[in-house]
Amino acid sequence: MKNRLKVLRAERNWSQQDLADRLEVSRQSVNAIETGRYDPSLPLAFRIADVFGTQIEDIFLRE
Amino acid sequence: MTAETRKRSRPGLWVGLFFASAGVIIALRLSGAIEEPVGFILLALSMGLMIPFNKAMKNSTCTYSEAMDVYNRRMMLCGIGYVLGLGIAIVLWRNYELADWTVFALTLLPILPTLGMIWAMARYLGEESDEYLRYKSMMASLAALAFVLALGIFWGFLEMFELVPHIWAWWVLPAWAIGLAGAQLWQKVRGA
Repeated sequence: MKNRLKVLRAERNWSQQDLADRLEVSRQSVNAIETGRYDPSLPLAFRIADVFGTQIEDIFLRE
Repeated sequence: MTAETRKRSRPGLWVGLFFASAGVIIALRLSGAIEEPVGFILLALSMGLMIPFNKAMKNSTCTYSEAMDVYNRRMMLCGIGYVLGLGIAIVLWRNYELADWTVFALTLLPILPTLGMIWAMARYLGEESDEYLRYKSMMASLAALAFVLALGIFWGFLEMFELVPHIWAWWVLPAWAIGLAGAQLWQKVRGA
């Protein structure tokens, strides 16, 4: 699944660690999600959307 | 924690020291330089090196969750219990004429800490709050299980046709641990 995490992070000038701290997950997790190696669960996807103040479908896109 | 502290902590050093000390102890035992009980006690003591390893991991830049910390501490305690339990069981069994029920009780000494290790692995999967780390551990565990099954079937048939010697069933756990380490190494190489 494609995602816009990197763009959304860049807009806020957040590092992967900054986002990981906000999501209370490891930086490794953020990296894996961002690079498309891991698709997050629905609860984590909702948390990501909440952190960016947007909708899940604005972050995760169909291939 | 400063970047300098993180840079200085070297978990690999402690793991290396642990394996080196274990290697020296085994070599001393095989050469007959030390007695069996001394070897087991020294091996149990060398497992104490996992304490600075755990601290170094916490201070390092590696991903190290709270659940991993608890898991490693539990594994270290079980490891020490296993080595001491095995040592006591072997020494008593070899040197005394024991009733069957006593021998059964003695076999529990290394068995129970091993069951503790399995319990620690199960607890880790339950306690790890980072779903990606949990996913990676589960995938590595499945790969280790596949390794054990494949090895068991392969060896079992070779053994049935008398091509290889018999090996004890408890080897499943070390074989599983080797499979787990291999799978985790593979994940690291692939950048997972």
